[in-house]
Amino acid sequence: MKSLSQRWYEPQEITTLRLWLPIAVGVNLLLSSIEWIREDWLSLQLSLLGAFALGVLWLVLPDGEHSWKRDVAMGKAGAVLIIGIIHYASGMQMLIDVWSTLWLTGPAAIALWWLSSPVISAWAKGTLSTQGAERGLARNKVMAPRLGAVGSHIMLMHAVFIVLLPVFWILDVAMSPGNILGGDIGVSDWTGEHFSKMLDGDSSFWIWLRNSLVVSLGTTVMGLALAVPAAYAFSRFKFGGREASMFAFLLVQMFPGIIILVPYFLVMKTLGLLNTSLGLILAYSVTALPLCVWMLKGFFDTVPRELEEAALLDGCNQFQVFWKVVLPLSLPAVAVTALFSFLAAWNEYLLALTFNTSNDMYTLPVGLASLISSTGQAWGDFAAASLLVSIPVVILFIVFQKFLIQGLSAGSVKG
Amino acid sequence: MVEVRYDSVTKRYENGFEAVKDLNLEIKDGEFLVLLGPSGCGKSTTLRMLAGLEDVSEGSIMIDGAKVTDLPPGARGLGMVFQSYALYPHMTIAENLSFGLRMVKGEGRLADDEIVKRVQETAKLMELEDQLDKKPKQLSGGQRQRVALGRGLIRQPKVLLMDEPLSNLDAELRHQMRTEIRRLHETLGTTTVYVTHDQIEAMTLADRIAILDEGELQQHGAPLDVYNNPSNDFVKGFLCKHIDEIVETANNLFPKE
Repeated sequence: MKSLSQRWYEPQEITTLRLWLPIAVGVNLLLSSIEWIREDWLSLQLSLLGAFALGVLWLVLPDGEHSWKRDVAMGKAGAVLIIGIIHYASGMQMLIDVWSTLWLTGPAAIALWWLSSPVISAWAKGTLSTQGAERGLARNKVMAPRLGAVGSHIMLMHAVFIVLLPVFWILDVAMSPGNILGGDIGVSDWTGEHFSKMLDGDSSFWIWLRNSLVVSLGTTVMGLALAVPAAYAFSRFKFGGREASMFAFLLVQMFPGIIILVPYFLVMKTLGLLNTSLGLILAYSVTALPLCVWMLKGFFDTVPRELEEAALLDGCNQFQVFWKVVLPLSLPAVAVTALFSFLAAWNEYLLALTFNTSNDMYTLPVGLASLISSTGQAWGDFAAASLLVSIPVVILFIVFQKFLIQGLSAGSVKG
Repeated sequence: MVEVRYDSVTKRYENGFEAVKDLNLEIKDGEFLVLLGPSGCGKSTTLRMLAGLEDVSEGSIMIDGAKVTDLPPGARGLGMVFQSYALYPHMTIAENLSFGLRMVKGEGRLADDEIVKRVQETAKLMELEDQLDKKPKQLSGGQRQRVALGRGLIRQPKVLLMDEPLSNLDAELRHQMRTEIRRLHETLGTTTVYVTHDQIEAMTLADRIAILDEGELQQHGAPLDVYNNPSNDFVKGFLCKHIDEIVETANNLFPKE
């Protein structure tokens, strides 16, 4: 009869393998599909074989009762290790091959290492004493968070890589000589010619940048000036048509932007606002308003009413209550809303393209697109400019990061 | 002579529900009046009408001989302590205390050094001297409660209003704060209106109890008078029977030798 500890003990290493081997199988299957697209048949076969062997390894992971499972598992892990090495040796041995091979050899090597440790072999054979199992349970408590941390970091590194890949790619285009798209990443000579061309004193880039800043900042200020009071009113006061107008705000969001493009254009033309920044500011503010109002209202709703009542008794009038108590508490939400309005205006293309047709009034997205015309495609300049355009956005995100998290997890304000 | 008077005050909501019905009540200068009743009896509404947070549908409210029915809350010269403390989370304790003083405009406005002095005095009174630079979040429940009390008192209000101020505290702290509130009242002598649903709290704190049910004043008088001479079945059941039961339970737990 096994003791309680013996029955409940499973080494954390085995638990970890049980979780990660299927992931490794999945990654290898994904890789084999890429190899299929590249028509690299040998690698394809090796990847499939490796994935299959990893799957079998998963099936025969020791369970503490059948001692034969450990021996088979060791054999399988060894096989995967060999397949992985052949896979690497037969491939092109580039960075990507190192990575893909690691998804075969890594799990195999770790499995071999763990399965051969004395504690796990004793456990796998069912010969671990009660004390040994108790020690193992204690060890599991320490191991679990460490192995979990390693695992999550592996996942995060992959996520970061996926996010950064396009950025590296465009950086490569921006820093390669000539205005061509394509070719291998990182093989050509580096050059700063595209950046210096874009940042040159006579470059249109500066005009576009000025226009974009005027329009985006204008939209932010105007949008907030409208959305903050509106949201506060929706949150706190009862008035006729309150429900209806909240719904109307949502309703407007349901139409695709392209539908209102022509009416917008006609309005702007009538008002003489074509080829002006003000026209864009007005259009963007109106577009961003519904979402901003809803976001801010949601946050204002979480500010306790008793705080406002306390301020009233302290002698504030309705405006002071808002200005001195509610608004300071809602700064995170206001920051998020401001960022949202700014980014929406900074990135918008369609309206800007339609309304402002002269190069003097182009915003950055339109200006960038004009680099890729039917007559000459300046991909290098385009890539350099698009990197430059991203810089303010990145800076804004870094600065507002703290606010963003607070603002998006509304309701964190407690007295 | 600060005196509060409700003259046939009625509160009616838009849907026709009457939360307070034709209330006539006087609160004398320096008196500690407790509004007692079950939830939904209109005691909080009664207090909030005095504070100016709810409109009065009919009748009028007088403070110190002046009609305040239509004055904004800040103009009535009141201090209020809320159940949730309602401290301003973005301000330090010192700023929380001084906020009301700084909002005063015109002739009543104190000089800055006078405000600092007042904050110091209040902090000393409430034993908060070491907490002045902290934010409410860093304080314990009992300390927050004391800040809320201090904020209510710092403007030297004509009337101090308290809306179930102890119901967020644990039993030990509640007992402690109850003693402290009574001590403060005896030191400062501020006219106080205190809302609670806790009979023991009412009996121990009050100079006078006013018992409400379904928006109507059932009885008012000194705690023991009310207990000894309940004027109707409701008071008998809500106050007398409840206290008798507590006494009986205590007696059963600790039998006399």
